[in-house]
Amino acid sequence: MSNHDNHDDPLLLDHEADGIRELDNKLPRWWVWLFNLTILFSVIYLAYYHVFAKGDLKQYGQMVAEYRAEKAIGDRLKGAAMARFESSLATVEPSKDAATLAEGRALFERNCAPCHRIDGGGLVGPNLTDDFWIHGPTFADNVRTIWNGVTEKGMLAWKDQGMKPNEVLAVASYIYTLRGAKLEKPGKPPENQVPAQTGPNEYE
Amino acid sequence: MNVETFRYDNKIVRAFAIATVVWAVVGMSAGILAATQLFWPEANLALQYITFGRVRPLHTNAVIFAFVGNGMFTGIYYSLQRLCKARMFSDFLSWFNFWGWNAIIVAAAITLPLGFTTSKEYAELEWPIDIAIAVVWVAFTINLLGTILKRRERHMYVAIWFYIATAVTVAVLHIFNSLSMPAGFLKSYPVYAGVQDALVQWWYGHNAVAFFLTTPYLGLMYYFLPKAANRPVFSYRLSIIHFWALIFVYIWAGPHHLLYTALPDWAQSLGMVFSVMLVAPSWGGMLNGLLTLRGAWDKVRQDPMLKFMVVAVTAYGMATLEGPTLAIKSVNSLSHYTDWTIAHVHTGALGWNGFLTFSVLYWLFPRLYNTKLWSTKLANYHFWIGLLGMMFYVVPMYTSGVTQGLMWKQFTDDGFMQYPNFLETVLQILPMYQLRAVGGLLYLAGVVLMAVNLYQTARSGKLVEEEEAKAAPLSAQPVHEEKKYRPHRFLEAKPVLFTALTILAILIGGLVEIVPLYLIKSNVPTIASVKPYTPLELLGRDIYIREGCVGCHSQMVRPFRSETERYGDYSKVGEFIYDHPFLWGSKRTGPDLHRVGRKYPDAWHYNHMEDPRSTSPGSVMPPYPWLLTQTLDTNVLPARIKALRKVGVPYPDGYENGDAQKDLASQQRDVVVGLSLGEVNAKPDREIIALIAYLQRLGTDIKNQSQTIAAQ
Repeated sequence: MSNHDNHDDPLLLDHEADGIRELDNKLPRWWVWLFNLTILFSVIYLAYYHVFAKGDLKQYGQMVAEYRAEKAIGDRLKGAAMARFESSLATVEPSKDAATLAEGRALFERNCAPCHRIDGGGLVGPNLTDDFWIHGPTFADNVRTIWNGVTEKGMLAWKDQGMKPNEVLAVASYIYTLRGAKLEKPGKPPENQVPAQTGPNEYE
Repeated sequence: MNVETFRYDNKIVRAFAIATVVWAVVGMSAGILAATQLFWPEANLALQYITFGRVRPLHTNAVIFAFVGNGMFTGIYYSLQRLCKARMFSDFLSWFNFWGWNAIIVAAAITLPLGFTTSKEYAELEWPIDIAIAVVWVAFTINLLGTILKRRERHMYVAIWFYIATAVTVAVLHIFNSLSMPAGFLKSYPVYAGVQDALVQWWYGHNAVAFFLTTPYLGLMYYFLPKAANRPVFSYRLSIIHFWALIFVYIWAGPHHLLYTALPDWAQSLGMVFSVMLVAPSWGGMLNGLLTLRGAWDKVRQDPMLKFMVVAVTAYGMATLEGPTLAIKSVNSLSHYTDWTIAHVHTGALGWNGFLTFSVLYWLFPRLYNTKLWSTKLANYHFWIGLLGMMFYVVPMYTSGVTQGLMWKQFTDDGFMQYPNFLETVLQILPMYQLRAVGGLLYLAGVVLMAVNLYQTARSGKLVEEEEAKAAPLSAQPVHEEKKYRPHRFLEAKPVLFTALTILAILIGGLVEIVPLYLIKSNVPTIASVKPYTPLELLGRDIYIREGCVGCHSQMVRPFRSETERYGDYSKVGEFIYDHPFLWGSKRTGPDLHRVGRKYPDAWHYNHMEDPRSTSPGSVMPPYPWLLTQTLDTNVLPARIKALRKVGVPYPDGYENGDAQKDLASQQRDVVVGLSLGEVNAKPDREIIALIAYLQRLGTDIKNQSQTIAAQ
């Protein structure tokens, strides 16, 4: 089988392989330019980021220089928001909004249940349904404990775990509803704690 | 003129062709099983052998090495004989190649579900099988070069250039990436660690795409497309330029799989710019294919074989433009670890490799059996179902990849992560996973139609086992050179020199990138507090490898605030110096695990492995109840410690003769105590204990360093 319908093509080269012929077409212009441009881009890129790198780029390299810049901006925004939240801690109140409590419940089951049990009865972490509060009985105390953690006892500082202020309020509000809950399985007993006044609880 | 009569071997071509079709069905079925588990984990039927982590490498190995591998051999064994006007060099080597290759695949299909894996992507098979691969591949290479040497056609056609590049490069890649220290039958540790292992692996992995999935198929395109269209190739000059540019540039591009990881900046930049420079050489192949069809587009309308070919070449063009785009660092920072990569590789796999294989098979069967295709209509149905399947596969994967990538990076105005819970970003894309499985099912349905069609075609004719041909020996042929291309025409008549230059072209990039990583110490700054794994952690890590956890979980936190806020400090190169193999991963179906150590209590891990939905409602991670019941095999410990010591991990001499076992038992007890704090009663000798020990160690050594500094 040969390419007999093209015998008159002036570009046809005179070699063949198993009947396959080849044309002597020039390289498409745009293709040559595409190739040249990618080479030019590469030279400029390597020169800018490596050969003639200056400042942070030279000191830290591209990745870490970019990261430091990005982190500085993000941490500033987040730091300001956290400071605003912390200054409001004295006056926070538990939410009774159903949507907020549902969000708090979801957060609790995902983040808190591994240590405090799904019903709040306590596992590694203490029982959250009784009247014994190790780190303060008020709602604000709870919020502060969740936010700052008690790292020496294994309680995480949730501000460092990506939990946002409104989420901490939601989960603390949900925990507030657990106070005095009747558990199917007995909760974890208190450990040398003095019972504290837990304050009025309309969910009881 | 002295004319010789000889016979082309069609039996070997048919054998490879049948294997191609069989493995297509097997490999794609494994793909659908894996895809289904991603939205419906129970599809593993609670069997460890077909759980996602083990099925995924089975799928990739079956479609790459079994389906495409046999497809490649089918096309090469057919076209090479005719382009050389010679029978294959050795019938023995031909059949050794066939049975050897397919026995290796059967071995893969047995060992991978059993959990024997190196965990290195597309190089998962353990060392005895690796040796078999090397032997069979060398046999193929000898058969290929031998046929070329006894050819009756003075000049090697462009398809043969690509075959040569394939044979020699795959040999180099396979051997260097597989260098490892056996620690028993079917268990080994790579000689490389951490970043070095990562770079060698992706030098291999990327060039497996280049020289296993691309160059041989370009060779097939150069033979079967002009044959079927009965048109001359568009540009001989373009063939020359794009061939040499492609094989030289391709080999440098591996580091683009490691952008923003702990790989040194300079190596990342080289990987990126060489990827960008790869667009034009790749498109040279696409242009030479599509422009060859000028004046023959009416045939494309009628001939399903050409339809498949056109879509294949177009998909190649799209994938090779997309690849360099994904290799640009800023694009990669979004796309990496997401389904975008999955979409990209399937454009290449389903479009380029799949459709080109189908095209070749539809063309070959009528010729092998001296008959007509049983049903052109059925082939057309296959074409449209296959195309629809591709769309249903690729479009949802783009959607889910971009969606999830953006969700991972989204911050609130206050600088908090918008979606701090990884699972939320998974639940968002589950509908896309369902659509993707439908796409895969459609594509497989097309393959089944093809199998029926080819079977009926074969039945309607009779195999021409030995096809007679005539040609004069080279010595009797006049030497005639076209002046215009004299240097290259000269080279095409010198196969040994040609092969030597090819090897040179493919070695340069790898050497420049890999060697400095060994010789220049500043590339891998060490961290004093990073220590080898304890015996229990080591065995836990081997379980992590066995279960294929790396298929869904990376261990590489990139230096982005969106990752350091979510996972913890970004990963440093010095943290991985004892990681044989590296387990950085390339896809996050679940969250990164590099900083998971000490993040959760032991009991959380126990409950999570027993039933992931108990700790993470809605999670698509499979349960691993067998880890809770299976006893940890500690007899393997001495061999593993010795093997690791030989590759440079500083376990004290004689540690494996008692001390290691004592340390192991004591750490087992520690984990059991840790579990009891969370009301979990576990026996110390279970596999889960080792896995928890490993997970709790991950990424924590560097924290010890900061504690030491703080204490001082």
